[in-house]
Order: sequence, then C-alpha cells, then structure tokens
Amino acid sequence: MTLLLDAFTVAAVLAGLLFFVAGTAGLLRFPDTASRLHALTKADHLGLGLIVLGLAAQAESAGGVLRLFAVWALVLLSSAASGPILARLARRGGAGG
Amino acid sequence: MAAAAALRFAMLLLFWLAIAGTAALPVGLIAAALGTAASLQLMPPARLRPRPAALALLVLRFPWQALRAGLAVARIALDPRAAPRPGTIEWTPRLPPGTARDAFLAYASLLPGTLPAGGLAGGAVLIHALEAEGAVAEAMTAEEARFARAFGLDG
Repeated sequence: MTLLLDAFTVAAVLAGLLFFVAGTAGLLRFPDTASRLHALTKADHLGLGLIVLGLAAQAESAGGVLRLFAVWALVLLSSAASGPILARLARRGGAGG
Repeated sequence: MAAAAALRFAMLLLFWLAIAGTAALPVGLIAAALGTAASLQLMPPARLRPRPAALALLVLRFPWQALRAGLAVARIALDPRAAPRPGTIEWTPRLPPGTARDAFLAYASLLPGTLPAGGLAGGAVLIHALEAEGAVAEAMTAEEARFARAFGLDG
C-alpha cells in the first residue's frame, strides 16, 4: 500500500512539474501579454493541483491534506482576482509584447 | 448585517483553524476579525440563494475544467508546430454589473481558454481567448448560466 501511494506521489508530482514546464514555455513563446497570462495561470494551476494531489497522499493527518488543498485554493483565488486585472491593464497600456 | 458578520467571522476562523491549528488562536481571532471587517467593507452582504445540487455540480466540475484548461495551454506551449491564435472577442453578460458579475468573470479566468480583459462602455466585456476561432461567446454564456443557477442569481 505504501509502495502504491509512493508511486502515485511520484507520478502526480512529475506530471505537475511537466505542466509547470509547459507554463514556462508558454510564458516565453506566446506572443502577447494576455496569452502569457493564460500560460502562467492555467498550466501552473493544473501543475500545482497535481503536486498537491501527489503530496496529499503522503500527508500524515487530515489537517495536512486540508492545508495542502488550502494552498491550491488560495493560489486559484488570488490568480482569479489578479488575472483579469492584469489583462485589463495590459490592454489599456497597449503592451502587446 | 450582524448575521452576515458572524457567519463570515466563523468561516474565516474555521479556515484559520484548518490551516494553522489551535497553537496561535489569539492571532487567528484577530485575523478573522480584521478579515470580517475588510470583507464587509469590500463586499456588502447580498441575498444569495445557493442551490446545493447546482453548486455541487459547479464545484465537482471544476477539477475537470482545470485539467482541460491546463492541457490546452500545455499542448500549444510544448508543441513546436503549434502556435496560439489569440484574439479578443466582445461578450455581453446576462448578469447585471456588480459583485455577481465580477465574481463570475474572476471564475471565468480559471476556465479553459478564456480570460476577461475589462469591460466596454456599452455593457459588453472583452474576453481574451487563446483560440479565438472557437465558440467562445457560447461557452461563456453556458458557464454564466451554470454559475447563476448555482448561486441562485437567475431567479
């Protein structure tokens, strides 16, 4: 059982890292500010979610699991609040590149 | 007002206890009180009638949406032959201007392919889409209807 959980953790964290790499590649490759925000938020959210899921399998208490998911929820909340504001500012400033 | 304040204080304190435990309870009490004051200032109590089934559907659907959103970005970012075809479309929300609409637009920024980018004078909202050729406006309207159903904003 421990082995299975460990394998799940390794797989989920590696998959999470892959999405962080994808988000960074998008940040470098995408042509405009708003597209880069897509890359930074959506790919990284999924990456963080997978890492949280993988680490939750190693948590020693329900409180630990709760704390991990709270981290994910807080990141989602703050980027849902800041993403549209940044996109609006980028449009007003005419920052295309 | 008092009921809303008590509910918000309780929720914030519960959240504090979940992430910090009981070790620093005085700090948590102060933080929850400050958070309650700030939230009442920024978001006055509104009459929400959440529908449990629709809300549960919205919450349960979210991980699937996050997966779709992340996969879509990752595919375009990592495939050297793919390039995003971004564009900005105008979309008119059904929700009236205000907290509910802002909350939906914040939520929509987490959904696959859409990023609200500010409102226009006529009431329309600009939506930046990573793939502007798809049915972006239709998807936004469908999501808005789900969101409004979950929080009882459509009745």
